[in-house]
This record gives sequence, structure tokens and C-alpha cells, in this order.
Amino acid sequence: MDLAMSEAETLEKAPGGPPLGTGPGKPRSLWSDAWYQLRRNPIFLVSGLLILFLVVISLWPGLIATGNPLECHLAKAQEGSQPGHPFGYDSQGCDVYTRTVYGARASITVGVCATLGAALLGSLLGGLAGFFGGWWDALLSRVADIFFGIPVILGGLVLLSVVTSSTVWPVVGFIVLLGWPQISRIARGSVITAKQNDYVQAARALGAGNGRMLLRHVAPNAVAPVIVVATIALGTYIALEATLSFLGVGLRPPTVSWGIDIANAAQSIRNAPHMLLWPAGALSITVLAFIMLGDAVRDALDPKLR
Amino acid sequence: MPEQAEPILEVRGLVKHFPLTRGIVFKKKIGAVKAVDGVDFDLGSGETLGIVGESGCGKSTVAKLLMNLERPTEGVIRYKGEDITRLSGRALKAVRRNIQMVFQDPYTSLNPRMTVGDIIGEPYEIHPEAAPKGDRRRRVQELLDVVGLNPEYINRYPHQFSGGQRQRIGIARGLALRPEIIVADEPVSALDVSVQAQVVNLLDRLQSEFHLSYVFIAHDLSIVRHISDRVGVMYLGRIVETGTDEQIYEHPTHPYTQALLSAAPVPDPDAREQRERILLAGDVPSPANPPSGCRFRTRCWKAQRRCEVEVPLLAVPESFADGPRAHPSACHFAEERHVVPDGA
Amino acid sequence: MLLDVRDLHVEFRTRDGVAKAVNGVTYSVDAGETLAVLGESGSGKSVTAQAIMGILDIPPGRITGGEILFQGRDLLQLKEDERRKVRGAEMAMIFQDALSSLNPVLSVGDQLGEMFIVHRGMSRKDARAKAVELMDRVRIPAAKERVGQYPHQFSGGMRQRIMIAMALALEPALIIADEPTTALDVTVQAQVMDLLAELQQEYHMGLILITHDLGVVADVADRIAVMYAGRIVETAPVHDIYKAPAHPYTRGLLDSIPRLDQKGQELYAIKGLPPNLMAIPPGCAFHPRCPRAQDICRTDEPPLFRVEGPGEDGERRSACHFWRETLRDA
Repeated sequence: MDLAMSEAETLEKAPGGPPLGTGPGKPRSLWSDAWYQLRRNPIFLVSGLLILFLVVISLWPGLIATGNPLECHLAKAQEGSQPGHPFGYDSQGCDVYTRTVYGARASITVGVCATLGAALLGSLLGGLAGFFGGWWDALLSRVADIFFGIPVILGGLVLLSVVTSSTVWPVVGFIVLLGWPQISRIARGSVITAKQNDYVQAARALGAGNGRMLLRHVAPNAVAPVIVVATIALGTYIALEATLSFLGVGLRPPTVSWGIDIANAAQSIRNAPHMLLWPAGALSITVLAFIMLGDAVRDALDPKLR
Repeated sequence: MPEQAEPILEVRGLVKHFPLTRGIVFKKKIGAVKAVDGVDFDLGSGETLGIVGESGCGKSTVAKLLMNLERPTEGVIRYKGEDITRLSGRALKAVRRNIQMVFQDPYTSLNPRMTVGDIIGEPYEIHPEAAPKGDRRRRVQELLDVVGLNPEYINRYPHQFSGGQRQRIGIARGLALRPEIIVADEPVSALDVSVQAQVVNLLDRLQSEFHLSYVFIAHDLSIVRHISDRVGVMYLGRIVETGTDEQIYEHPTHPYTQALLSAAPVPDPDAREQRERILLAGDVPSPANPPSGCRFRTRCWKAQRRCEVEVPLLAVPESFADGPRAHPSACHFAEERHVVPDGA
Repeated sequence: MLLDVRDLHVEFRTRDGVAKAVNGVTYSVDAGETLAVLGESGSGKSVTAQAIMGILDIPPGRITGGEILFQGRDLLQLKEDERRKVRGAEMAMIFQDALSSLNPVLSVGDQLGEMFIVHRGMSRKDARAKAVELMDRVRIPAAKERVGQYPHQFSGGMRQRIMIAMALALEPALIIADEPTTALDVTVQAQVMDLLAELQQEYHMGLILITHDLGVVADVADRIAVMYAGRIVETAPVHDIYKAPAHPYTRGLLDSIPRLDQKGQELYAIKGLPPNLMAIPPGCAFHPRCPRAQDICRTDEPPLFRVEGPGEDGERRSACHFWRETLRDA
């Protein structure tokens, strides 16, 4: 392919000015662009550090809390702050500081597992429905509508009250069951949008099969909104776990959970407000951190929304 | 122009109706958009067939049908004598190697998450027999060079290029499998004037270099004339007039072709006063409910009762059956009229 | 002079740096005159128009210099509420995409009538009557019946007529049309352009027609200003420029379009790419692509020279050190 090219054609190679918005000659993928955006966003830095901290203490709570959350001295019930026990004691005489630190584990575990479950299930079902369309899409959309119709709290009270296990899995399962339709709707919509791009048609015209089109062309271009929604959902799932635990159908003792502690503290909110303050504060900050992270990720992945 | 040789592509009675449905789970058909409604043409080897028409005339649907991206409702598309519209699986994949496409929008036709090397190299992944694995990178770089881009750009992403450069990447992808036919759907209409000429020249050069046959679809009459050997004018799903570029532009006989040509803006202010403009009334009717008889009759100044009841066939008008100007026109009252001003 | 733009500068601050979109644009329009501003994407033609209309997004945009004299007043010195009174009543704009410029949830009658209610304090009923009158004037058939319909019920050409009606409503002295027919089909394009030209004559308005289409310009313009990299590179009466361009960029544009009346050979193509607005070449911005470029072009930015020579009345200018040679070779 030794070609003599006319001068006018070859000149795009020449070092003239690069087109608008083109940086220097280095390859720059959209993901690396997004990461560059994120790193410069203070909201991402604050929420990211906070979440990193939460994850670390939920894995190794012993790093900052030396006590045992289940070791309680009824004699010290509801006592306030004192040396070595900065947050005071709760109604059972357990150390509030230790319990607040240990409570992160339940929240993070439930949040992460439920989000992973809902995101995987939802994007798989929604993505396939969006890609293939037809009766499968229609059926799935109606099923998702039915799940949307279930009132969360009422559903939780009914379904979880029959469970006796004290692990986190029934709660995780319940949240996945109610959470996947939201993700599947987002995934379906964004797959339909991505599918309409000419590059998917181009791949088809080259003879690509459904698998290649879906995995290579559609999924990478449809995943961004799912990541954003899942990140924000993670925060709300943590809040939901606390709510269910507060109502007595979520996590149960001896599991340490902010929701359980908030429920206990609520009974004596007048004489010992510190019991409520710490677990509730930790919960709010955690939820907020994930929602902020979701916002920052959205800004980075979808510049059009700014 | 090899007129005697067997055409590489033959299209006969091509029809595509998109059903209009109502309801979500239980769909009920309430009509159809007649996007393409009986189109015939041949494409000779090494030839460029231009298809012009306004939006909604069905020209892009023809492109999709030729590419087997849509299945026709009726009709056949023969590639070297074999009907490709009913093919599937391996046979279809084999045919696709020979017919490739260049898209209109250089921004949506390249996957933004893939590098240029992956985009141009994808054809080889889909058709591994086309190039041995170790040879692919070199081939991709050669292709970049052929379309006038720096082969060192292989690891860059599409958004790092301008519109014209992206269109070159799309052309390189189309060339990778060494196809015989390229279907180009408005390949330069999204580009700036100065870049348009670069890409048109590139397409011209590649045609002689690789002996390609083009189906060139566009709304810009000047560009179609520049690049085409033969031209078909489409209106509401049908070809209304077809002939060589000279027959269509210098001796148009269909009123729609005449109106289209006379309305095209001409870059010459002196032609402003002297040219005769045919201003059509109204808009193009909906393809879901096209007029009876001749589809152009609702906007045509020549329309009579006959046009309402009798569909005009695409045939050489009797008034000049012989001679170099004779070419098919689907009008009951076909009559030559010179509408392109000289020096325009 | 109706509108006099002098040495206008506009920048955009972006993540990657400062994009200099408009770098000293000077042009003027008289009542009853049509000025075509011709340029490719990124030439600054639309940004200049937005600055004139006062609809520039600030930030990221910023007007860093110059004046916009409209009927003798500098618009850039006006307060926002004074500016708002000018907008719509004294100058109006027509956009490329009529569908997104019209509000989909209001009927066209309501949108047309609103102009009269807001600016003229008319009653709802009178405004509706005015709306019908306007629709008649832009030749929308059955205006009385269609006045209550919504934008999506009209075809593309009809919607652009509604946009024109809206711009004309208060009989402004100046209309800026930004690629008004680019989204339309050829046959409809001709109808809309003719209508616009006719109404302009009737109302004796100034018209700034922003376009990239040399054909449209030749059909309707009186004068042309060609823009490149945020500057005017050539301005002249329309006949002169098509006959003998005095700037190599204009020359290249004219040579690069295929023609309707002949089958061309290879097209002339301007080499290279439009400049990056964050790194505009020094000297003449066009020099990397120019077949005539010399050393002086790389260092000295050419001013707008007055072009002398045969031609029509009216001033002719070119920002090329070698305008004489360019003109001679034309």
C-alpha cells in the first residue's frame, strides 16, 4: 500500500494546531479523563477519604477501638463521657464509642453486599431487556413495576418478621429484592441509548455477534449511569438497614448495628441524649458520604449534566 | 464505466415497511410507515451510484437494507447474482466482508471507549481469517496511513480527533476487510466545508486505488454530482428519476428533480437574478400515508387527474426514447427542462 | 449605522485553558441591509452573535474588550434590565433548531402572543389576534385553525416560520439569523430563505445571516464578512467576493465546493485543520494552512487592509499581507 498522497490530504499529519479540545499527543481514554476530573473534585476527596476510613474500621475495628462491644456493665448504664470512654455508656452499660465503631461493619457490609447484588441483578436483567427488547422486555418491565409497588417498610415488616437468623443475609436479600428494579430501569434505558449509536450498527455491519456488540460496544458505554445510581443507592441502603433494625426486623443482637443502638437510645432520649447522638451521627455521615460520592462520580462521568 | 459487465449489486422491488403499533404487551398493528416502497437499481463494478433525496425519502433505509442491518419486507438484493437478503449466520458474515459502510455522524459512529487501533482492528477480530494475528497492528497502521492519518495515532481515542479525522478513521475501518462495495450514508454532511473537500477527495482516490464500488447517499446535489457516475433521485420511498450525472443535472425530466435542482443554493450571486426557481408548495407528505397514484402530485404544478389514479412507472419517457439524453423518469408528463444555471 | 461592532473580544475559560473565541471582530450593518457572516465551526461567528444579543453564557464566556454600538448606544454598558428591553423588541434572533427553541408545552399562539403581552401589555385576546396575523404574514396556511396547536404538530419548515414570526413580532430593527435553514430540506430551505428576505425588505430591517453555506450567502446577502479563528479575514460586497476574493481563505472555501453545473475533477482542499482556539498560531492565524504564507505571516498579524480595485460601491477589506497578489490571481 505504497501511496502517493496529494499534499492537501496528508497535511492533517503535519504539526499544525490540534483541533479544539485535543490535548497533546498522549492517549486519553474517557475513563482516565473521568478519573482526572474526580481527583480534582474536593467533594470526591472528602467523601472518598471518609468512605475509605469507614471501610478500614469495618474490616479492622480493633485499630481504633480496643474494647469489646458486647462487654457491658449494667452499673454504668447511661453514664456520660468519662476518660477512656469518650462517648459514655448506653442503657445496657455498653461503651457507646466501641459500639459505634463496631456498628460500621454491619452498615458497610449490608450496604456493599446489597448494592452489589442489586446492581448485578438489575443491570443484567435490565441490560438484556434493553438490548433484546421484545416480550422479554415487556415482561420484565411489568415485573419491575410490581416490585416498585411494594411499600418498603411494610414489606420489610411482613417479610423479615418471619426470619429468625441473626446474620446480615436476610436483610441483604430483602434490599436486593426491592432494589434491583430501580437499577434495572436505569440499565435498560442506558443500554437502549447506547444501542442506538452508529458504532453498534457498524459492528453489526462487520458481522459481529450479539455477545461482542453487548460486551464490547454497548456495556462499556452504558455502565456509567448504573455506577452513579448504585453509589447513591448504597447510601440509601445503609439508611434502610438502620431503619429496619430500628423497627426490630433488620439485624438483631448480638450483631452490633447503628439501627439497633438508635432504637435503644430512642427510649431514653430525654435523660441520655448522647446515646442517640453518636450512632445517629455516624449513620448520617456515612449515608451522606455515599450520596456525595455518587454526585461526584456523576459529574465526572457525565459532563453534560454540569 | 463498465456498462456491459454484470452488475456487482442488483436491487429489485425493494420494499421496507415499518409497522406502526399500539399497546405495550399486546401490540396491535395500526398501519405502516412505507419508508422504501419499490426500489430498483444496479451498481456496476467500480462505479459510483449517487442517491439523492430529502429527509424522509427513504435513502437511509436503503443503506440499512443494503447493509443487511434491516430485513426488507419484500424484494431482493443480489450481490454477484446471489440474493443476500435471506442469508444468515456464516453465509451472511461472509458477504459482510465485501459490503461495508461509512456513516454520517463521525461522533456516534466510533466507540468512544476504544482506541483507534482497536476500532480499525476490530474487523480482523471478527473475521480472524482476514489477517493473521501478528500482522494486524501493522495492517491497522497501514490503513491509517492510507486514509491520511499519522500511524502513530494508533493508541489515541476518538474524542482526541476532529470531525474530519474521525471520518477518516471510519473510512479506514470500512476498508479493513478490503470490501468491494462501500455504502456511504451522508459521509461528509456533518463536516466543515474545507474538510468536506478533503474527505471527498480521499473517497475518490480510494475508489481508484482499491477498485471500490460506491453507493453514495446524500442530500447535497453538488457533492453527489461531483462523485457519482449515475444518480437516482428518491421521493417518498421511490426512485423518481435515474440516469447519468449529465442526464439528471443537465436534462432532468421529472418535476421533482427539476424543483430540487432549482432550489439548490448556488454559490454565485450573479445567478441570483437570472435563474429560474421552482418553489414547491408545502411539505413532504407522511410516508405512513402517502398520496395515491404519483406520490409527488400533492406538490406538483403539473398534476392532473391521471396522477391521482395511475402510478407512473420508472421508464424512459416516450417523447425521447432514443438518444444520449434518454433516461428513466417516473412521471406521466415528463418533459425536459433546463434548471441548473450555467456557471453555477 | 444600525449596528456597529468594534474590536470585540470574547474568551471562554475551560478546564484545559482559555479559548479565545472572538479576537477583535469589527463589522456593521445598516437598516435594510443583509450581512452574511460566513465561517466554519469554531470561527466565532455564533459567539459574536450571542454577544450582540446578550445571550452569551457568562461564565464560562467573558467579553474582554470592544463595544457593540446599537443605534448609537453601547450595549455592553447597559444594565441588564435595559438590555432586556432591547432584546426581542429592538433586536431578535432566529436559531437553527426551531423545535428546541420553542416551548413544547405551550401552543404556538400562546408563545407568539406572549411577546405582545409582556412587551406591549396587550390583553390575552388581542395578543391571540396578533398571533394569527403574524402566522398569516409568514404564510402558515389555516393560521386561525392552527394557532392553538403545539410545536410538534408543525413540520420543520413551518416551525422555522413560527420562529421567524416570533422574531418579527415586535418589528425589531435588527434580526440575527443563526444558520436558519441548515436543518431544513433543500426545497423547504428555499421557501424559508425567500420569506425571510422578503419580510426584511418589507420591514426595512437589518439582517445578520450567520451561515457556513456559500450557496445561501450568494442567494441573499448584500455584504459578506468571512471569519476565521475569531477574526474577520475579509469583508466585501457579495458580488466582489465571489468574483475575486482578496483573502486566500475565502479563495480556498470558494474553490473547495463542488459545483452543480459540472462534474469536477479533484476538488481543491484547504490543507490542514481549523486552529485550536487555545493555541491560535501567531501572526496570521491562517498561515499554517495558507499556500501563500511567507515569513511575515508567521510573525505579524495582518490588519484589515483596505482593498482597492475595481468592484461595486462599498468598502472592501482583507486581513492578508498579500491581498494584492491574491486579488490579482483570482
